[in-house]
Amino acid sequence: MDAVVIKNLSKTYGNIQAVKDISLTVNNEIFGLLGPNGSGKTTTVRILTTLIPPTSGDAWICGCNIFKDSLKVRQKISYVPQEMALDVKFTGRENVLFFAKMYGISDPEDKVDAVLRVMELSSRADDMVRTYSGGMRRRLELAQALVHEPEVLFLDEPTIGLDVAARKKIWEHIKTLKKNGMTVFVTTHYMDEADQYCDRIAIIDKGTIAAIDSPKNLKAELKHNIITVRASGDFREIDIPGVSLIGKQGDYLCFMADEGRETLPRLSKYLETSGMTIHALSLHEPTLDDVFLERVGPYEESGHFNDLQFRTMLRRRS
Amino acid sequence: MKGVYNYFHRDMLKWFRGKVTVVSTLIMPAAWLIFVGLTLPVTFTGNYLDFITPGILVMTVFNASMLGGSLLIFDKILGSMNKFFALPVPRESILFGKICFIICRGLLQATIILIVAILIGATILRPEQYLLTYFVLALFGILFAAIGNTIALLVGDTDSYGAVNSMISMPLFFASSALMPYNVMPGWLRPIAELNPLSYAIDAIRALMGGTIMWTSIGLLAVMSAIVLGICVMVFQRASCD
Repeated sequence: MDAVVIKNLSKTYGNIQAVKDISLTVNNEIFGLLGPNGSGKTTTVRILTTLIPPTSGDAWICGCNIFKDSLKVRQKISYVPQEMALDVKFTGRENVLFFAKMYGISDPEDKVDAVLRVMELSSRADDMVRTYSGGMRRRLELAQALVHEPEVLFLDEPTIGLDVAARKKIWEHIKTLKKNGMTVFVTTHYMDEADQYCDRIAIIDKGTIAAIDSPKNLKAELKHNIITVRASGDFREIDIPGVSLIGKQGDYLCFMADEGRETLPRLSKYLETSGMTIHALSLHEPTLDDVFLERVGPYEESGHFNDLQFRTMLRRRS
Repeated sequence: MKGVYNYFHRDMLKWFRGKVTVVSTLIMPAAWLIFVGLTLPVTFTGNYLDFITPGILVMTVFNASMLGGSLLIFDKILGSMNKFFALPVPRESILFGKICFIICRGLLQATIILIVAILIGATILRPEQYLLTYFVLALFGILFAAIGNTIALLVGDTDSYGAVNSMISMPLFFASSALMPYNVMPGWLRPIAELNPLSYAIDAIRALMGGTIMWTSIGLLAVMSAIVLGICVMVFQRASCD
């Protein structure tokens, strides 16, 4: 039986179509829904976790329909929303125990102990949550979600706002869960994380799925190199065979080139003769960012991205 | 039921952990009782303390109930509601858990008032009189906890909720039979006070303490509670699928 089946799912808010005709199937894997803010990721997850009804289409979790068997669906899943929500006046243990009781687990105390140990929170289990760091709070939320051993785990932006070490830890836990047979459905806008940890990803933009495959296959389809240039001055359209501009934001220009190594000096010369001053140049293999750019279009046309996000992404790739 | 109890227990524990709020909610009603019951120069009754105690009891449960709606708003704003809605228990358990907590907190405050009232000179009643007093207060608590939660669900944020709450609370209290009997009220106030649901509860408890049971008032309270609770559940169900 498939863990998650989605058929022609759509959701409309007033005249905004948040999700448009999405269909996909997910099984024992880490499945990433990847897209910018406002692309419809959270809406999709909220429909699958029975929080909101879709406008049209249907979905099944482990064979249970999200309308007709919503209680059964909720028995089989766990959902960790993007915003952290813990009772800070409770201890870590109390927070998890509450969920254990809600799920009707027969030996709640033992199960809570076990899951806190897995999440490496045993030593702090009896401290108030208000003394926890961001990473610990996220792990505590994972503990809450895992206490009843769900078949499908929905994580909405699980690493948002965490530092690098905490992110890595969260993803290591997610990987272990998958290895133990769980289906993990995760949304993120961090391309590098999706690339590194997801078995399969769906790129979602403006509510539709632009591409769906393993990160490796998606990148393999892009046989080009990516050249990132930081340059000041007026940029005019370039006319070099095999080179095309795929993104521009502030001082940063992003090109796709067939033959990266040969193109680099030519591009540099071209830009300088056109009156620009080059501050930095870099060449790299395609990443998911580039797949995203190619599938969804240049950032400047997308309108979803802000300057800061773009810079962070560029910095990460170099 | 398991869900209702767990939600109730969570709110109870949360309330106890906020020590300042516990002290404040327990001292406030006692202060009302002392300052109103022992200071006003009243001529219409020999023991004003016995007269005012039912008024203060109902006022306290009334305020506790009306304030209770903010619990729902906070759970929504702080994101807990999202997680609760994905749990395999009926969603209405959240609402019923809250109402149970609100009434329980109100009755705890009522107990403090009853104890203080005895300490400062009120007449001691028979156990069944106290039991029935709690019953009326609980019924009344359901009515206003449901009203408070319905308002909370409709307005959606704490600022607007506080505004609506204070707009309703003050006039309702003073336009009731809490502070004075109907025969000494100004003529324009009397018909309003007679229609006020606070008066039903106050009159019923006052009668109870005097030894008679006002079944009509209690019945009316029960019917109103059932209707308003039904509306509240409907509003909650509608709000929970946005």
